[in-house]
Amino acid sequence: MHVLSPYRPDLATVQEVIQETATIKTLRIVFDDQKKMQSFSFRPGQVGQLSIFGVGESTFVINSPPTRKEYLQFSIMRVGEVTHRLHQLNHGDQVGVRAPLGNGFDHEAMKGKDILFIGGGIGMAPLRTLLLYMLDNRRDYGDIMVIYGARSPRDLCYQYELDEWKAGGVNLVLTVDNEFPGWKERVGFVPTVLSEESPMPHNRVAIVCGPPIMIKFVLFGLKELGFDDEQIVTTLEKRMKCGVGICGRCNIGSKYVCVDGPVFTRAQLNEMVTEL
Amino acid sequence: MGNAIRYIALDKLTRVLGRLSEILDVWVPTASEEKKRLVRFMPYQAGMIPELVEQSTLGPKGALLPQVESLFRFIYEKDPDDASHKRVELEDPVAPKPTLIFGVRPCDARGFLLFDRVFSAGPHIDGLYGARRDLTLLATLVCLEEDAACFCSSVGGGPADRQGSDLWITPIGDGYVVEALNDRALHVMDLLEEPANELQTAAATKVQQEAAERRVGNLICDQSRSNFLQRFDDLNYWQQMAGQCLSCGICTFVCPTCYCFSITDELKGMRGERIRSWDSCMFYTYTLEASGHNPRPTRLERYRNRIGHKFSYIPEKYEGIIGCCGCGRCIRSCPVSIDIRKVVENLEEKAHACA
Amino acid sequence: MIGWETGYDTLHTTPVFIKDSSEIQRLVWNPFCAQNLAGYLVKSPIVPRGEGSKKIGICVKGCDSRSVVALIQEKLVARDMLFIFGIPCRGVIDLRKLIPNQTGAKILSVRLTDDQVEVEHSKGLQHLAFADVLMRKCKRCRYPDPVIHDVLLGESVLPRIESHELYQDVAAIERLSLQERLAFWQTELDRCLRCYACRNACPLCVCQDRCIAETRDPKWLTQYMNLPEKFMFHFIHALHLAGRCTECGECERVCPMEIPVSLIKEELNKITKELLDFEAGLDLEGVPPLLTFSPAETGI
Repeated sequence: MHVLSPYRPDLATVQEVIQETATIKTLRIVFDDQKKMQSFSFRPGQVGQLSIFGVGESTFVINSPPTRKEYLQFSIMRVGEVTHRLHQLNHGDQVGVRAPLGNGFDHEAMKGKDILFIGGGIGMAPLRTLLLYMLDNRRDYGDIMVIYGARSPRDLCYQYELDEWKAGGVNLVLTVDNEFPGWKERVGFVPTVLSEESPMPHNRVAIVCGPPIMIKFVLFGLKELGFDDEQIVTTLEKRMKCGVGICGRCNIGSKYVCVDGPVFTRAQLNEMVTEL
Repeated sequence: MGNAIRYIALDKLTRVLGRLSEILDVWVPTASEEKKRLVRFMPYQAGMIPELVEQSTLGPKGALLPQVESLFRFIYEKDPDDASHKRVELEDPVAPKPTLIFGVRPCDARGFLLFDRVFSAGPHIDGLYGARRDLTLLATLVCLEEDAACFCSSVGGGPADRQGSDLWITPIGDGYVVEALNDRALHVMDLLEEPANELQTAAATKVQQEAAERRVGNLICDQSRSNFLQRFDDLNYWQQMAGQCLSCGICTFVCPTCYCFSITDELKGMRGERIRSWDSCMFYTYTLEASGHNPRPTRLERYRNRIGHKFSYIPEKYEGIIGCCGCGRCIRSCPVSIDIRKVVENLEEKAHACA
Repeated sequence: MIGWETGYDTLHTTPVFIKDSSEIQRLVWNPFCAQNLAGYLVKSPIVPRGEGSKKIGICVKGCDSRSVVALIQEKLVARDMLFIFGIPCRGVIDLRKLIPNQTGAKILSVRLTDDQVEVEHSKGLQHLAFADVLMRKCKRCRYPDPVIHDVLLGESVLPRIESHELYQDVAAIERLSLQERLAFWQTELDRCLRCYACRNACPLCVCQDRCIAETRDPKWLTQYMNLPEKFMFHFIHALHLAGRCTECGECERVCPMEIPVSLIKEELNKITKELLDFEAGLDLEGVPPLLTFSPAETGI
């Protein structure tokens, strides 16, 4: 980011575009400034604002881990004007990037623990970053379980690397909402599968990300299993503009989601005013 | 400091402003031609009559945080090797120019004090604001008379509050005594007519002392931070206090401590800019998410957030500074006369009942 | 029950929503009761509108009552949901006229007698004729008595002008040359902040949360504060109100920059009256002409 102005993006070029699902694409980009690319560092869970100049900016988690820096990856669901245009990009097109922003996951605190990732749909994006980071530092973490659900088999992202996750030592539980021909994995909503799997809370951290309704029921489920609020981590979304804690808009009480978040523990959320 | 206290006779004021505008961009409060009572801060032009008695409706906020400000420009170019392809270049905005805002009130200066904290507190520092701020001098007027809506003393300010100002202007009947409050202001002192004599300086001191003794407003808000949090979920309270709010945005636009802005891209053909522009937490679209969800769907939540921001969240984030300067503009300009003092005062009732 | 109560000083009232009969004494009526309360019937999150809700009591002056009729015409509120307290109105004081040319004077108190206003301010005492300090809209009022009410509180008041005088103010602008007219509006609208108070204060502007002035998709207006953007907003707003605006004058009163925005709507209403013989907010069965389509339309 520009030294003088935190609002001026760096230019980057799209190297690869992957169509994950009908509405989600993954972009792999590289800063035009090679030195910047080499020296770029970030924590898993931090975000970037991608710009289409003339249209606007949107916030996305940096989807690739800091241990794999050949490119920066962003998974984007098409919902509005900016994401619409991001979906039209091809290899060689430029975007603006302002990164890293936000707080990232507290992976140091998770060392030595068992990890439970619970992701729904595009919610898998921030989880992937931390998951791959942990796989690249496998000995620092205990048991890793991933419950990843989507509406249908065609709505699952990262299908091309699920085998890699399993090979890296992940207990992967995939589920879709209904039966589908050819689908051999689990069927059922994520909260239901969570109860069925019943992971023990002892020495475990649960990281949850997905649609609000899924998060709501997963949080109930985790409570029932005995997880306490310090053990539960999630990410929040808000309309963002400056992304640097100044324009005033993304606050929940005195916390700015763009600076104090987007990663929050359940315990932190309990302290905040009810304004989600 | 030899030339640190000057005197400008009333009839010499416009000459002084003219001289200052040769080396600086000067902003003054001025009444509208057509509407004699409407006072706004505008860039000074020859012929403007500064209005230094009547409080401005729209303060000098726009001089440091322009209503529209370019963050950078972008220019698209077709790739010479592949016409279906475009490359983009970015350009920094035009650098700000040295500026002097003449006729600021202590309440307006407090607004800028808050801006200084917000824009430079980090973790990301707003260098655009910083660059503009470093080049700007505030020439602040001792405030001689308050009206029914003023309450600056209640929120940490006062009619003789010098904090944040560079030049201190005291009206003494037939003219103004002007002091430099710091080194930044010294270079303009020579342009301010003549040195003040002893009589004038003494008269100014007397006026300042009288102003300093006035306590403007009797709102007590030292417990507001916690009282607000206790009241947060009491929607009944917010209905009573803000049910009449039109959710229009006037309060945020005239408020010296309101700084929320939006960032939008404006493109014309192959060129454009990313601009920031004044936004308002009172607008529905302020927090409207792309999914259609809005965490503040009605005026009640939005008004509650405004009070929270000013009397609870800002003090929490910035060493107890209250995000309100007591200028009373929101009270005067509100179409339905919502009184922010009443809202803050009554935050306490329930708290006492609970205790 | 929606009415007015005393505001932060004697010169200001503020709308009040009363749910309990013990609070009735908060209600006031005086020439400072400027706000048009009709807008709350359709835009307030706290006015109950569902099936089985109690009736809503609302205080209206003559001009406000026309807004209520307009809302009923457009089926935005049901007549049988309302209990209307109609108050014949002698006019509302324009606070900006109370201290005409004294700069810096602070008003200390105001005393009203039948047709005199005595203003005590920090620079002395001033006596003004009531008729001189009324709002512009009051000076051209043809319907001081509410056109709809369940109970009438007070004696009937005569219209202040004849019907042929109704559009004098816009006629004066029409008499200017095109250049002068453009210059007039450029000067006035240049002060516009795009705060949208005029839009939000309008009882008939019910789509304020989804206004085209703010949408980015499609994007009609940029965030630039240029004259073209300001013209666009004001003229689109006025066009959306053509034939619907009841000339309550709230838009003009609330403008912090004192722009006479009501004139634009009055001009469109003048055209509507001439071409289509329709005046907004009078006849419960009426339908604003721009909301109808009839191949047999005359006047065009």
